[in-house]
Amino acid sequence: MFFLLLAMCTGYGQSRNVWGTVTDAEGEPLAGAVVTVEDRKNFYSVTDDNGKFFMDIPFDHIVTLHFQLMGYISEDLEISKEMAGGLKVVLEADYMNLETVVVTGTRTPRLLKNTPIMTRVITNEDITKVDALNIVDLLESELPGIELSYAMDQQLTLNMQGFGGNSVLFLVDGERIAGETLDNIDYNRLNLDNVERVEIIKGAASSLYGSNAVGGVVNLISSGAKDPWSVNLNARYGAHNEQRYGGSAGFIAGRFNSLTNVQYTSIDSYQMKNEGDYTTFYGGWNWSVKERLQYEPIDGLKFTARAGYFMRERHMQADSHDRYYDMNAGLKGEYDINDRTRLELSYSFDQYDKSDYLLVNQTDVRDYSNVQNVVRGVYTYDFSSDGKNTIVLGADYMRDYLMSYQFEDNSSYVQHTVDMFAQVESALNEHWTFIGGLRYDFFSQMRTSHFSPKLNLMYKLENWAFRGSFSGGFRAPTLKEMYMSFDMAGIFMIYGNPDLAPEQSENLSLSAEYTWKYVSASVNGFYNWVDNRITTVWNEELNGMMYTNMSSMQVRGVDVSFSMNLPMGLGARLAYTYTNEAIRSGEPLLTQTRPHSATARFSYGKSWKNYGFDISLSGRVLSAVTTEVYTSVTDYEHTETQTYPAYTIWKLTLSQDILRGIKLNVIVDNLFNYIPEYYYSNSPSTTGTTLTVGLSVDIEEFFRK
Amino acid sequence: MTLIVLAGTALWLLPSCNGIFQGLYDAPQAVSEFGFVSIDESTFSGTIYIDASSYTKWTYIDLNAKTIDTTLLSNDGTEEGLVPDGWHFAVHRYDTKTNEGTVIGTDFTSFDELLASGSIPSGEYVGDVWTEDRITVDMSGMMEGIIVYAPSYYNPELSLWLNVDTSSMPPIYTMSGKVYVLRNSDGSYAAIKLTNYMNDSNVKGFMTIDYIYPLEF
Repeated sequence: MFFLLLAMCTGYGQSRNVWGTVTDAEGEPLAGAVVTVEDRKNFYSVTDDNGKFFMDIPFDHIVTLHFQLMGYISEDLEISKEMAGGLKVVLEADYMNLETVVVTGTRTPRLLKNTPIMTRVITNEDITKVDALNIVDLLESELPGIELSYAMDQQLTLNMQGFGGNSVLFLVDGERIAGETLDNIDYNRLNLDNVERVEIIKGAASSLYGSNAVGGVVNLISSGAKDPWSVNLNARYGAHNEQRYGGSAGFIAGRFNSLTNVQYTSIDSYQMKNEGDYTTFYGGWNWSVKERLQYEPIDGLKFTARAGYFMRERHMQADSHDRYYDMNAGLKGEYDINDRTRLELSYSFDQYDKSDYLLVNQTDVRDYSNVQNVVRGVYTYDFSSDGKNTIVLGADYMRDYLMSYQFEDNSSYVQHTVDMFAQVESALNEHWTFIGGLRYDFFSQMRTSHFSPKLNLMYKLENWAFRGSFSGGFRAPTLKEMYMSFDMAGIFMIYGNPDLAPEQSENLSLSAEYTWKYVSASVNGFYNWVDNRITTVWNEELNGMMYTNMSSMQVRGVDVSFSMNLPMGLGARLAYTYTNEAIRSGEPLLTQTRPHSATARFSYGKSWKNYGFDISLSGRVLSAVTTEVYTSVTDYEHTETQTYPAYTIWKLTLSQDILRGIKLNVIVDNLFNYIPEYYYSNSPSTTGTTLTVGLSVDIEEFFRK
Repeated sequence: MTLIVLAGTALWLLPSCNGIFQGLYDAPQAVSEFGFVSIDESTFSGTIYIDASSYTKWTYIDLNAKTIDTTLLSNDGTEEGLVPDGWHFAVHRYDTKTNEGTVIGTDFTSFDELLASGSIPSGEYVGDVWTEDRITVDMSGMMEGIIVYAPSYYNPELSLWLNVDTSSMPPIYTMSGKVYVLRNSDGSYAAIKLTNYMNDSNVKGFMTIDYIYPLEF
């Protein structure tokens, strides 16, 4: 929302001076607001500390000025020949994050409010409030329909509205994550210490992202340094001797921008309070180091180099520790050749290893290594140089190397993947936007190729946006699924299957969204046809398990969300989802997805010059699910009924900002002391109410005026 | 410019296609030698390394002759293969039996502690028991709930050297860390300690056993 108060009008001839003041709703001057002239990008101004701007415009016809500042709703102002000086502009705070730029849906930057692809954004502010340890911790508290369970070997496994860990594509700045355990990536790798925001797209998205984007995409967007220099130190201590220590150092010098993050976390093993499918949580520790360096040699040309190191140790066995290592690096060049043309080239390397550290002789023997090398080129052409009619063309090459203890004699396999994609976005008129996309993927091991289409239509009318989409998703069989030959604890063998067909999905979704400056609400209905889902199936002839395609199934449901942020500091976010998985009886996997789930957050915050606080109560509610489970692993005829009970778990967080540079968090988790009577593999590993205290210090703040 | 930088980086990293961490890890030492892998005559001690990973194999250890011999175990408990009369104890996966001996689990975790105690541990020595539900010989039907056990003698005390908790999958293995004292039928004593149950590639069933024989004070 924007107010203009015209105080003084002065006319000039061919050239004129335009000046004025930009303030917030309380009348406080806003420094750093960017003022541009529409269609004339070389004319711009930035407001000074008093909110004042000045421009010399060498023409006298009607022009539109655009005022923009992060955290505020930007606005356009048309000024006539007569209007020029003493403009008083009021920008309103962007309570609903409408000005957030998102990239995942279209691979090009789009304002959240304008993107034709329904995107859920978890902002940096939300991340800070939740104080989550890693990405799944965050997703679980922010999105309904997310459930984490323990698979065999107490490995984390994700269920996102009926889609498992390998059907949801996790990306960091658009890059894939190497390595997996029991079909899930190592979520511990994805801590949130340099994450600017998380973008989530539900439904198939293989037309832009290829394999694995069957049920959705989660894209973590990294941040760079925001101040000339910054140093942060933080620590957190909680139940079960959970400790986290972190630090970051950043600088902006000339055309360089660098941010380095280091984090260490550890937690003890602890016993559950009751009997269950599992009785112990196995502790361990993580190390993570990340560096991101950006260099802009000339305006419009940007190079980003990044490197990361991660190590995790888990203390499950008495005489050996499970170790997980990752090393990743990348280089990306982005070049805005002109107003219309943009080119992006990137190279990315990611290596994920697993090893066993034997305490008896202190040897660390590796038995798994996944190495992915990816080269990508993306070309964007903007037909109308306003971002409304664009074409994106891209191609990737990936070399995927996998050595695993699950292959015979710890051998290795290599797969080459090549793909090409194209997506056209067109604003048909002021209400309608159309997106059409197609991607072709080729996989060397199976010599198979796959086409993934997408069609999207958005209709915008004032505060309403209606979106409809049809999209294709697929997941190519992995090297593991094709070539496994693994002796399962001397009990049975699990065999790969080189004749597997790719998993495939078609997603249809329809949504309506209403957004106002303090409130937004949305309803989204979705229907997924999934075919050829890959799982292990008992094979009589082999007397072991073998990876096999399942027959078709459907996943359908509705998402409803409401959020509100009022200027007085009051906020609320409620989200509910209904999911129904239709799987035929006799299939090797039966549904375990809870039909109803909801998340809620109520917060109140206020800040003064040297003190601010934010108190928030957040929780999630998961319904019970009654399902059939097979009584034997070797046949799919006899079942028994199993009910996993409903539960709800709440968290109270008090964040305090002291002297602008000190942040003190006190978190009471599991506020209502929920303790499972029986710990099913999908019960939370909680032992009741816990208290966590966190302290974070931004040292640079103490050197500010 | 971008192209050159990217191409240069790609070329530089090409050798890294199969990874760059090799130097960080220890290579599994392929030990092909089984038996008495080290013997210290001066202290009457040594180390035995055996491959006990097969469900159908008993490995017999003769501490006098410093030899190991194996037999092929059938479902009915019969064994094929020659066993010397003077064997002291035998290992089948993690199971053990003795040649009419008895065993006590001590509170000592090292031979030094045992030797420092100055005497043969006293207490209840446990003999072998006849069992028909311990010695697994065929796991292939496990998924149908059929596990075939061979009838056999079994020493419940010495077999405590490794606890296998199968309530979770994969099982959790915990070595007792204890020194066991074996009283042989001829009245001699031996000290035995299991120090590892895996080979260097973490395959389970490869037992490293330290011993002192004869154990005398």
